[in-house]
Formats: sequence, structure tokens, C-alpha cells
Amino acid sequence: MVRRIKQAAVIGSGIMGGGIAALLAGAGIKTLLLDIVPFDLKEEEKKNPKARNKIVTAGMEAALKAKPPLFLDKKNDPALISTGNLEDDFDKLKECDWIVEVVVENLKIKQQLFKRIDAIRSENTIVSSNTSGIPLKEMSQGLSAGFKKHFLGTHFFNPVRWMHLLEIIPGQETDREILEFMAAFGEKKLGKGIVWAKDTPNFIGNRIGVYGSCRTMQYMLEDGLTIPEVDALFGPAIGRPKTAVFKTSDLVGLDTAAHVATNTYNLVTNDEERDAFILPDFMKKLIADGKLGNKTKAGFYTKELTPEWKTIRKVINPKTGAYETYDKVSFPCIEAAKKAKTLPEKLKAVTYGDDKGAKFAWKCTASQLIYSTNRIPEIADTIVEIDNAMKWGYGFEMGPFESWDAIGLKESVKKMEQDGFKVPEKIKSMLAAGNETFYKLQNGKRLYYDFASKSYKEIKTSKENIILSDLRAAGKVVKTSDSASLFDLGDGVFNIEFHTKMNAMNRSIVDFMAEASEYVYKNGVGIVFGNQTPGMPGTFSAGGDLDFMLGLAKAGKFDEINAFIKKVHEGIMTMKYAPIPSVAAAYGLALGGGCEICLAASRIVAHADLVMGLVEIGAGLVPGGCGMMHLWQRYMDSVPANATIQDYGAYLVPAFLNVAQAKTSMSAQEARAMGFLRPSDRIVFNKDNLIGEAKKEVLRLAEDGYTPPAKKKYPVMGQAAQGMVWAQMNDMKNGGYIPPHMEFIAKKAIYCMSGGEATQGQLVSEEYLMKLEREAFVDLWKTESTQKMAENIMKTGKPLFI
Amino acid sequence: MRDAYIVSAVRTPGCRRGKGALAQTRPEKLIVQAIKGAVERAGIDPAIIDDFMLGCAFPEAEQGLNLGRVALQMAQLPDSITGATVNRFCASGLESVAQSALRVMSGWSEVTMAGGVESMSIVPMGGNLPRPMADWAKVNPDVYISMGITAENVAKRYNVTRQMQDEFAFHSQAKAAAAQKNGFFTEIIPTTADRFVEKADGTIVRETFVQKTDDGVRETTLEGLAGLKPAFAAMGSVTAGNSSQTTDGAAASIIMSADAVKKYNVKPIAKLVCYTTAGCKSDEMGVGPAYAVPKLLDKAGLKAKDIGLWELNEAFASQALYCAQQIGIGDKKLWASDSPDKIININGGAIALGHPLGCTGSKLLATLLANMKRLGVRYGVESMCIGGGMGAAALFELCK
Repeated sequence: MVRRIKQAAVIGSGIMGGGIAALLAGAGIKTLLLDIVPFDLKEEEKKNPKARNKIVTAGMEAALKAKPPLFLDKKNDPALISTGNLEDDFDKLKECDWIVEVVVENLKIKQQLFKRIDAIRSENTIVSSNTSGIPLKEMSQGLSAGFKKHFLGTHFFNPVRWMHLLEIIPGQETDREILEFMAAFGEKKLGKGIVWAKDTPNFIGNRIGVYGSCRTMQYMLEDGLTIPEVDALFGPAIGRPKTAVFKTSDLVGLDTAAHVATNTYNLVTNDEERDAFILPDFMKKLIADGKLGNKTKAGFYTKELTPEWKTIRKVINPKTGAYETYDKVSFPCIEAAKKAKTLPEKLKAVTYGDDKGAKFAWKCTASQLIYSTNRIPEIADTIVEIDNAMKWGYGFEMGPFESWDAIGLKESVKKMEQDGFKVPEKIKSMLAAGNETFYKLQNGKRLYYDFASKSYKEIKTSKENIILSDLRAAGKVVKTSDSASLFDLGDGVFNIEFHTKMNAMNRSIVDFMAEASEYVYKNGVGIVFGNQTPGMPGTFSAGGDLDFMLGLAKAGKFDEINAFIKKVHEGIMTMKYAPIPSVAAAYGLALGGGCEICLAASRIVAHADLVMGLVEIGAGLVPGGCGMMHLWQRYMDSVPANATIQDYGAYLVPAFLNVAQAKTSMSAQEARAMGFLRPSDRIVFNKDNLIGEAKKEVLRLAEDGYTPPAKKKYPVMGQAAQGMVWAQMNDMKNGGYIPPHMEFIAKKAIYCMSGGEATQGQLVSEEYLMKLEREAFVDLWKTESTQKMAENIMKTGKPLFI
Repeated sequence: MRDAYIVSAVRTPGCRRGKGALAQTRPEKLIVQAIKGAVERAGIDPAIIDDFMLGCAFPEAEQGLNLGRVALQMAQLPDSITGATVNRFCASGLESVAQSALRVMSGWSEVTMAGGVESMSIVPMGGNLPRPMADWAKVNPDVYISMGITAENVAKRYNVTRQMQDEFAFHSQAKAAAAQKNGFFTEIIPTTADRFVEKADGTIVRETFVQKTDDGVRETTLEGLAGLKPAFAAMGSVTAGNSSQTTDGAAASIIMSADAVKKYNVKPIAKLVCYTTAGCKSDEMGVGPAYAVPKLLDKAGLKAKDIGLWELNEAFASQALYCAQQIGIGDKKLWASDSPDKIININGGAIALGHPLGCTGSKLLATLLANMKRLGVRYGVESMCIGGGMGAAALFELCK
């Protein structure tokens, strides 16, 4: 039998259930979302289907309103979800290929639900629980053998769409075939990173994660650090999310975090570090006071508004239990980490420093590394599972064992022993055998150290899962510069990777692209533009090198800016009309220059969570890499050649607003609706496979006998567009909706996009449009306001509204 | 000059753009029903009509060609009747009445017909292809200014506060609701409308139904109105609640000479005494009536106090209120819903009933005449502001 999931059901419509339903709908799967009938219905409501579905309706509405958005395509995806309740619609579960339970974390309730499901499920239905802590064997106790064969744990992380991790937990009797199917389904269809967990309390991510945050809290009280100090040490300084420890708890909810911790404490009676899961009193008090984090507007942190609408940030003082204002925190180790270029250097700076902060960070880190080691094989068979869980579920750039490699295993173990930590025997024997790293590359294969066999084993991933850093280590870089590298992906396909800050385009990348194209033209069949900067959602390329151009502008070297843009244009046109295809593997932020690379490529293979836009106006500019022209061409290319356009405005207005309002997509589907993606551009759900899928696309294009696009003139809306926009700008100005310089930029943008002096419908050359763009770009740099706006966005990351 | 008598004046309901009852009904169908209604109420043989003037603010697409003539043919009136479409934006429906009346007054015609139509659902305000001329937009874009901004300008320049606007709007709604309850809208003809419905099996079915009432009237409170966000300016005072509604509708009237009235034995309702227009700055077009009405009264030799009923179009509360003040009728007791002395927009205005642009002039005429007749008021004035910076005003005298 070929297994397929055509129809799924999600039981429980809370934030997790709603998120899973939205994800399934995004993957094109019909989904039934069920919840309970409210207990408190009035007599007259008891027969009213609307009243009976009140809870699920509210859940669906919350999912639609969630920020960041849970739905990939808010317009179309919700239609795939039907809602109902567990009394009237229960029989519909018979028709489902997969039922996932996401109800309240209460064993009895779950047992009763599964018993009902067991009675009606069809024999092939897969049933899973999204529990974060209740053992599977208890939930399925007493159920039929058929049920148990089809029963497993599928543990998603919140927010479901944005967190990459999916822990799969086999039950004792789950069929191997079911497990493998669900892992493949989770990876390919739902785009998740699969981690194999065991049926132990809170599985992998939450066991390690909550250990870390609870232990850190306890040490904080012991050592007398403040909450902001801890968050500064455990944030981006060491490659972890901005929310660090306490802000993450505020985000998740203190009650939820406490529930996981207490649940673990109760269940892990043999854990050598069981005490770590005891909540500090000040946290218990916050929970008792209803200060549960962001959802109650106060948790560890809170915000207050002054009558002048100024926000004052405050944090709890664990000693006094009062909220207090706080200043920016710094330790010498954090400053050193900020200056360090690579993550290993940053980690070393923080863990091996000798200030108070560093000593504290070391203590926390060492205990977490040891704890993680001791959990193998209890919660996972390999270090890879633990590392992936922490990267994908908690947004760490490196998992515990990767970071242990980064700070140096041997060196750190020595320090642990000196400081009285109990180093696990596993580690000692590993070192004694001369194995000094957890990971290593051998013959281009990535290996991990396996504690069980005391040897290195290969990490098995799907063939699309191409990891550039591994290729680099395996010597697959054929060309490199300070800003970009060219990788050999095999089969004649080459990958251009940017490695500037935020992968921004600069002069060196432009030069490099020309050289790389030359090389691939001679030695290969096509190019992938692929980057792998980590993060949620990560950064493909966030724009252009403002610093460089601002420098030129300040020095009055406008001719050089002009020459630079000319070069950018040449580079982009060369790529566009090259005899070999180029495919942009776009994901995360693809903004400004990053977006323009994609627009010029033969194809885009985009990750579903794509944030794409021409946002240059925020930096005081118009797009300078043919972005406006290519976006307009996208709109015109969508019209069959034998159709006559009556209303150019219907096309130009949305294209122009993308630029004038710096609109960004919140998904690849949205990017398509905005005209950035063509129907032929592909959307891929799993970011890990993006470069692999882009490589396939290059090979397909090459195989099909790639021909570059024909060079042709395009019609423009001309002066008619400028009349519309100038009239509109007058109203916006009068309405106080646009400040003067932004109005000036918007008018430059419409001049470029509508073809300058042309009249409506006139065919114009690309060279003419590029000339207009270049002139507008240089003119803007000549203004003081643009220079101010560029400076501001570089400093603060936010546009200056002038 | 001879006198011109209005012998019938009717209108369709005014229904909300987009979501209202008439949103899917072609404008031709609306004006055809208004024409038939006016003929029927006048009790005449349509063959005696000489000419038809139709007001329309966006005479394009479905309202295009020459709808003044097309509508007559669709109404299956005799080929002998001629028709034209006139456009003076929001005064189009009054301009058509004035021109048709003038034809009678000059002796060129004995019987004429006037009307107005606008389906703002089908032909959007601004038209389907707005194309301001770039050369001019770069010099003086105010010629293309948004109406909402002009309302903000009036509010700002003449100190019409948010509170005053909201209060005026509140009373407009209250008056309309009361008038509906009391059955005062006798000028409305039940109107057959279309809607296109997707059935459960996916089949699309065109359904027809009869609409008898204006559907934009709603219960409001001052608090509710105060809670609305400004619609046109970030820090502005003009909101969706204190502006006119965008609306679909049509209206028509039959005009006759004294000789014709006698010949066909028809009872006239009122005569058009005078019509005038006045210009102002386009960026505060709402003040138009403040110029047009004094000019009108001056020509007629009357004072504001001589006028017993006013239809002062509520394009925006800010401009309506300011114009009332300038004309000398700004006292709240003259427009408040609960005032026994109210004489302005006594059945509510466009804030509650809608402003179907080119139809409004003819629509307000039908309402004004119905009220003059009901209350036995001798003089009634209708006035409105006009995009581009104008005002129009007309004076009617009730026939005894």
C-alpha cells in the first residue's frame, strides 16, 4: 500500500493545534480541526451548532490573527480547514489518514480521547500526540494492538510554522514503516527538521532547554547576577536568540515553562540533576500573581507607558519582587564577543573570560554540556539529535556538542576538572582514545562521535540536504573572495555564496559574480545563488552595502556611485542573459539587493517562509539593481502577448506600491501574489533542502536545453502613471501620511518604473530604464536627507521618516 | 420667461456601495425604473415628453455612451423623446433639472424630464481609469485633490471641530431613522434589483428582489462616532461616520409649462424659481454652497429666513455645517433631530442616506418636494458642494 495523507485531523484548537492545522493547510492537506463543546452552554444554545463550535471557531480566529503569521496563504489556506466539535463531528475522524492530538496536557483526558478514537479509526489511520511531556505508553495503555502500531509522538514547537523542529517519538509498538513514513512526510511535506526522541519526560528539546533555563536561574540567584545580565550573556553574544533566557520564558509563558519543569521534576526521579528542575521562589510568586509573560503583559519583564507615550522597560528584581528600570548591560567578555568574527571565537570569549559575567556563563555552560552528555542514551541515541533539537527548537546557532567543539573539548574538560565539575566517563574515555572533537569531516562526509560504539559514524541526511560549511571543509570551494565563494555542488552545478554582514551585496560580490559566471560558463551547467546564514527566518541577503556608498556620497564621489551602479547593472544583465541558467535559492530575508538578485535569476526556488521586498525607500533610496524594471517586467510578462492592456494602472499601482511602501512578503505565496515570484518559480517547504532543490532546478533547466530570455522592449505606463502618482502624493502629503523626502523618493521611483518621458504603452529598452534608475539613485545620494536616512537605518535598523 | 412646474419627482432607494442592496444592479436598470416611476406618478402619456437630461458624475463604462438616450430606449419610451447626459459632478442631478426647466421656461419645450443616476458600486468614484495629466499634476495637483482632504481643509480652516461634525452626523442618522419609521419617504419607488448568488452546488443564479428602503441608515451614538479613526488624514477629524456614504441610486422628475399643466390636467407640485452656481477654491470645494446660496437668494430677492425647508447636501459634516453657518442657518435647533424647529435635512442627509454623486441633485429634489408638500412649506432650497470647487443651489416654490 502506498501511504498518503490526503485528509488530516487536529484535535485541540489552541495555539499549537491551530498552528499545526495552518501548517497542514499550507502543505495543501485537507484538515479537520476539532475541539470540545463548551461546558457552559445555555439551554437554548445546546442545539445551536454555532454555539457548540464556539471554542474551535475562536481557536481558528486566533490562528488567523497570530503574529508572526501561522498561515502561509491567509486567503486560500483556511478554506482547506473545516472545523467541528468532538461530539457532533467525531465520526468524521474515520476518514482521516492522520489524527494528531493537541488537547490539554492531562493524562486522563488524553486516555479517554484515544479510547474513543481507537473505537472508530479506520485500520490505516495514523494517530499521534503532540504532548510535550506525557509518556506515550501511558496514553495508549489498554488500547488495541492496531492502534498502538499506528501510534506515535509528533512534537511540534511554537510557533509551529516558524520553528523548524519536529520531534518524532516512537511508541514501544509503533510500526517501523509508520515511523519512517511520518519522518519523510514531516521533512518533505511539512518542511520540518526531524529529530528522533525517546519516550522520556519532555523528550529532547524541552528536557535540555528547561534544564538550562532553570539551572541558570538558580545560579543567577547564587551568584547575584541580574536578569538583564543573564540575558545579555546568553543571547546573540553566543549565537542564541535575542530573547535569551528570561525573554524566551516571557514569550512561551511562565506557566507553560513551569509546567514543563514541574512535570520533569516529578517524572525524572533518577536524574542526577533532578534539583535543577525546582523553580525558584520568585518565579513561583510571579505565576501566583498572574504575571505569566507577554500574554499578561508582565512576566520577568514588563513595559510601562508614560502619559507622553514613552515606553519604559522594567524587569523584576528577584530579591525584592519589584519591577525596576534597568540599563544596558555589559561585561568585558560580551564586548570581546561582539568584536569576534566567528561564533567559536565569540563562544570562547564568553566562556573563557575572567570577568564576573564570563565566570557565570562558564558555570552554566559547563553544567549544560555535562547534563546533555549524561542524557545519552536516556533521551536520544546520538549527540546529533540533541544538537539538532536545540538548533531547531530553541534557535541556537550551535547545539551543545557543536559549541563544545567550538570552545575546544580538551581545553574545556581540563577547566571543568579544575573547577570541580564531574566530567562524564564517556567524555573521558573518548578523549583517552584520542578523539578530541564530536564532529569531523572525512572524505567529504560529516561524521559524529557515537558514544555507544565509541567511534565516528556518518550523519545520514537526504541528498538534497547540502551543507555549504561541510563542502567548504571538504575542499569544494573553487573560488573565493572576502565577500563571496563559489562551491562545486557536483554534476556541473556551482553555488555562489555571500558571506558579508547580512549577506549584503557589495562591490566585491559584483566583481566576484562576473568571475564566477565566467568560470561556470567554462566548467559547468549552471549556478545556484545559495546562502545558509542561520536564524529564524534567516537571511538570504538583506540588501546592498550602504556603508560603502554612504562613504562615497559623503566624500562627494557621486561619479563613483554612478560607476558602481553601472557595474551592478552590467553584472545583473550578464547573469540574466548568460547561456547558462542561474537559480536563486531564496529564503528568510531577501530584501533590496537580495531581492534584485532573485528577480534577475532564471528561476527562484524559494523557502515557504520568504520575506521578500524592495525596501530601499527605508534607506532613502530607490532600488539600484534593476529591481524596479524587473518587477515591472514580471507584471507585464503575466499578460499573454495577444491580450491588450486597457488599464496599465491596474498593474503599475501594485508594483509601484511594493516599492513606495517597502512592502515585504510574509511567505513565498505572498511574494508570488506581490509579483516577485513567477508561476514557474518553485516553493520548497524544507529550508535544509533548499540548495539541493535549487541544484535540481538548475539540472532540469540545463537538461531541457536552457535558452536565456530574449532581449526585448517592454511597454511602460509613461507620463500617465506620473500624473496619477503625483496627484495621489498631494493627497498623502495633505493627509500627513508621507514625509517630504519619502515623497521625493516615491516620485523618483514612479519616474523610473513608468519609463520617464515615455507615453502610455510606449515600448522602451532596458538600457533606457537602467539609465533612469542610475540617475535617480545617484540624485538621491546627493541629497542630505538620503544620507541621513541611510545612516539611520545602518545604525538603528529602522527607517527614518523624513 | 415662463414658469416651469415639477409635476412628479421620484427616486429609487439609496443603497450602500459594495455591500448594499443595489450593488449588483446595473445603473441602467435603476434609472429606467426611476423614469417609469416619474411618468406613472405624473399620470401622463410619455409621448408628450420632448427631451430628457440625465445627470451622472462618472458617465463611463456601464454609465457611458449617452445613458440619457440609452435609458429612454431601455424604458421603451417613444423614439421621439431625445436624451442627453450632463455632468457637473455632485450637482449633475440638479443641473439636469435646471436645464430641462430652462427649456420649458424659454418656450423651447412644453414637457421635459430630468434625472440623475450613479452606481458607485459599478463605476467607482474617480472613474475606472483616472488619469491626471502629469504636466499639470506636477504644477498644481489640487485640481485632482481628494474630496476627503478638502473636507479636512474646511474643518481646519474654519474651526469645525470633530465633536461638532460627529454631533451633526449623529442627528443626520437620527432624523433618517425617524423618517423611515414615520413613513415620510413617499418619494421612493420600490425598485427591482439583481443579485448573483452562488448556490451550495456552485451554480450561479441571478436572483431579483424588490428594495423599498434606503439601507445606509444605522443606529449610532456619539461615543461610537467619536471612536472612529480619521479616514483621510493621519491627524484629521473627518471620519467615515461624519462623511456622506458612497451609494447607488437613481431619481427622475417630469417638468411642464403652465400651458401643458392645464392641457394635460396635471397637478403640479412646485415650480423652479431660480438656479445658480458659484465657484470657489478647489482645495476647499465644500464651501461652495456658502457662495451659491446667498447668490441664489439675492437673485430671488429673498432672505434665508424666508426659506421653510433646506436640503443642504451632507457631502461631509464639516462643510455642511460650515455652509449652514455662513448662510445664517447654523443654529443647532434648525438641524437637530429632536428640535421642533428643524428645517435643514429634516429626513436626514447624505451621512445617513448616502450621496450617489450624479443622482443626488434629483434625489434631493424628490425628497425636498415630498417634504414641502407634506408640511405645506412655501419655499424650499436645495444646495450642494461640487468637486473642483463649486456650489450649486436651486429655489423651489410650492404650488397651492
